[in-house]
Amino acid sequence: MYRYDAVDRLIVEERVAQFRDQTARYLAGLIDEDAFKPLRLQNGLYIQRYAPMLRIAIPYGALSSAQLRKLATIARRYDRGYAHFTTRQNIQFNWVKVEEVPDILAELAGVSMHAIQTSGSCVRNVTTDVFAGVAADEIVDPRPYCEIMRQWSTLHPEFAHLPRKFKVAFNGAHEDRAATGVHDLAFDLYKDEAGEVRLIVKVGGGQGRTPRIASVIKRDLHWSELLTYSEAVLRTYNQLGRRDHIFKSRIKIQVETLGAEEFGRLVDEEWGHLRGGPNTLTQEALDRVRRHFADPALDAPVNPAATLPVAANFQAWKRRNVSPHRDESYAAVTISLKREGIAPGDATADEMDFLANLADRYSFGELRVSHQQNLVLPHVARAQLPALFADLDGRGLARANIKMASDIICCPGGDFCSLANAKSIPLSAAIADRLAPIEEELGPIAINVSGCINACAHHHVGHIGVLGVEKGGEDWYQVLLGGRSDAGGRLGVLLGKAVRQEEAPVLIERLARHFLSVRVAGESFIAAVERLGAGAFKQALEATEAVAA
Amino acid sequence: MSVIIELDSSGSRVRGVAGERAAPVPPKPANEGHGDVRKKIVPLVKLPAGPSATHWEGGAYLSLPQWLEGAEEGGAILLQPSDDVRELRGRIGNAALIAVDFPRIGDGRGYSHAFLLRQRLGYGGPLRALGAVTADQVFALARVGFDSFALRADQSAESALAALGTFSVPYQDAPVSGADADRAQADFDAKVRLLERTLMRIAERQGRPALASSLSAEDMVVTDAIARLGLPIDVFTLDTGRLHQETVAQIAATEQRYGLKIKVYRPDARAVAAYVAAHGADGFYESVPQRKLCCEIRKVEPLSRALAGRDAWITGQRREQAMTRGQLEEAERDEARDMAKYNPLAAWSWADVLAYAERFDVPMSALYARGYLSIGCEPCTKVVRPGEDPRAGRWWWEQEDSKECGLHTNVIAR
Repeated sequence: MYRYDAVDRLIVEERVAQFRDQTARYLAGLIDEDAFKPLRLQNGLYIQRYAPMLRIAIPYGALSSAQLRKLATIARRYDRGYAHFTTRQNIQFNWVKVEEVPDILAELAGVSMHAIQTSGSCVRNVTTDVFAGVAADEIVDPRPYCEIMRQWSTLHPEFAHLPRKFKVAFNGAHEDRAATGVHDLAFDLYKDEAGEVRLIVKVGGGQGRTPRIASVIKRDLHWSELLTYSEAVLRTYNQLGRRDHIFKSRIKIQVETLGAEEFGRLVDEEWGHLRGGPNTLTQEALDRVRRHFADPALDAPVNPAATLPVAANFQAWKRRNVSPHRDESYAAVTISLKREGIAPGDATADEMDFLANLADRYSFGELRVSHQQNLVLPHVARAQLPALFADLDGRGLARANIKMASDIICCPGGDFCSLANAKSIPLSAAIADRLAPIEEELGPIAINVSGCINACAHHHVGHIGVLGVEKGGEDWYQVLLGGRSDAGGRLGVLLGKAVRQEEAPVLIERLARHFLSVRVAGESFIAAVERLGAGAFKQALEATEAVAA
Repeated sequence: MSVIIELDSSGSRVRGVAGERAAPVPPKPANEGHGDVRKKIVPLVKLPAGPSATHWEGGAYLSLPQWLEGAEEGGAILLQPSDDVRELRGRIGNAALIAVDFPRIGDGRGYSHAFLLRQRLGYGGPLRALGAVTADQVFALARVGFDSFALRADQSAESALAALGTFSVPYQDAPVSGADADRAQADFDAKVRLLERTLMRIAERQGRPALASSLSAEDMVVTDAIARLGLPIDVFTLDTGRLHQETVAQIAATEQRYGLKIKVYRPDARAVAAYVAAHGADGFYESVPQRKLCCEIRKVEPLSRALAGRDAWITGQRREQAMTRGQLEEAERDEARDMAKYNPLAAWSWADVLAYAERFDVPMSALYARGYLSIGCEPCTKVVRPGEDPRAGRWWWEQEDSKECGLHTNVIAR
């Protein structure tokens, strides 16, 4: 994991001191609401429906056990004993007090964490593959590039007041687990014929009101030009992005309006001035950061003797929640935070402490946070899997549902968020209940439930996406079909008009049952939708409605 | 009147300038941060009716189109966010001032204007930010190249000047993308700043903090920082009666250099006499218990007296000094003495100590020139050979894990 040196430490400490002073001046009435807004947002502080919300960055999803314990301490001391893992590798506290936020940030600084740029019109927390550095299908470990991007974009003086928020993602594996297609700026890392790392650069992806899949504007960027090229993209956007209408100010609108080719040309023109300049990455810089991500001592035996009697439900858990590791005597284990009766992505302080202990015992003190709102132990010796399963099962944390119908991605929605039009958490629970009897039969399926058009739960790229809308003060839901966040990204298609809260799970069950009736052997839900087309599912739905009527 | 802050090589100066449209911002009640603040998003951003200022000290501002029509000598240009700065290429001429209008805090185009003016067009003259310029923006504005800030009418010059020092090292450019030497330089600068911040925090929070100095290089670094910042932190030393004469000389040299008083604590004469009678003057060579008893009499007991009535003490310990210090924290609780204990150099390397001494011209004990790396009592310290552990010169006849005198009890407990 990345270890802060004095430069990193000092910047975070000075940032805390700066915000402490700003908060004091705000509370004393010396900074007005409008001027304080960008300051608090760029320190992760939202004013939410019931209380302020603090969003803390977990850069590229990597978390140490010490950091997780600190988050648990903060949950107890400053919040109500729990926190929420988000869809962008952040963690949110929903009940903090404004006047205590500087103290929380100071505690975070003590474990090399911060809330810098987790909100606001700036470059947000950089995200990547939850299995980065571990995945068996990885081509290039994206973490050093993520960390370099984190440092360069942190407190960049020129790009703190962009037209709108700006999200950056990296992917270095065959399977895209970072949803790069729906990011403002995304990089696919690969190796050219000479073995040099190069990047495919994509811009203008995003969800929200105007969903769009990112366009490729460069196919062979040399790794050393990561920052110079990013600077050219950001300057082009900062200068020419729309600022007159906030629904039109994301970079995706600019790329769509100009066309990807013209946008790429403008970027290249700017890049021509920067290429080879002071932000060109040196080999020493890359190696220096890469050393931080060296493997722990992976020395478990390949074929260990069985140590524990295997529990009955162990096999199902192993099939669903255990992913291959580059080193075949190890595995990456996903711990589901999608549990019955608990909001998706939520974890209590006690659970965080418990998981930190498991990370120390089984995974070299390292954890990951996935954009599917689950936690991962990245380096578990295969021989230890039964013991880990037993520990997790004892705490109700061994639900074997990764990528299954009950592994729903869900935003905080109308229960917490002031932007939400409808509740998302109760609906997610209702959908999971409804599909429970056929969950195994269905196999992998991505269901995403957002409480508003901002699409925090990525409903546009769910195999089934649900969007909360408000009608006459009631919660209604639109259902989308056929989106995917991998394979370059695809947007779901809207299935007719919005339905009432009680109807949405019924409709989704019909979709699921239709799939079961048409699937060919071994076919996944999304494969069937792509084979038959979303339109066929829509027609089938209308036919069953007609019968029901 | 609005306030303008100007930066030049000699620092910053503040002056009042007759403002053109210095309408005060109506105060809004501070949000307590609680309660339902749900509101509809208003997507349209209201654009300003005109420029935030019409005149500078030398007359009327010219807009970019006006300037391009006929550049006047000595005139000033006021750029709007939507202007294309590149049109000024080769046309800046003798502009006396270029100003950039920030109609709203959230409109960041002016930051790119400044970057391009400075880096691409090579403009070296005064560059002013005006409009919605608040104290909290000036740090970033200065970093992209502004050197003049016409603050919004409600902003205090004091806050703005303070904000100019918000961050000590940048994250962009060489420290991120450059060679290891560039990062090492920034890292050292950051260590010095962290040391200063720690000492200032100690002085602010603790009632009677003190540095326990052995006159070692590390303790000289901390002493230098305390003196340089003029902090109310006492410095004391323990004269065991067996110090090198160089160490005793260093006390006076330090007092003279920094104009401070180092309080000297000496062992209880009767206890020393009893020890000498029982074990001989050099009885500490015979066993670890006898060595530790000597340390107890000559160092630990005087330290207790030095720390009596204090609420915090500071040391120059570093992690890499010895295996007993490998887990050293920068701030810890001295449970035995019930007070805070700070080790602000915990993360420092020996190279950092030497670099600091060079940068601030810190007087070093003559013992270092003779090959000593750790400073203690004369009979119990020896010259360390190159490549040896720095603490190899302390109690060299003992095991590595016992090499503490008892001053730093937390370390031993661990």
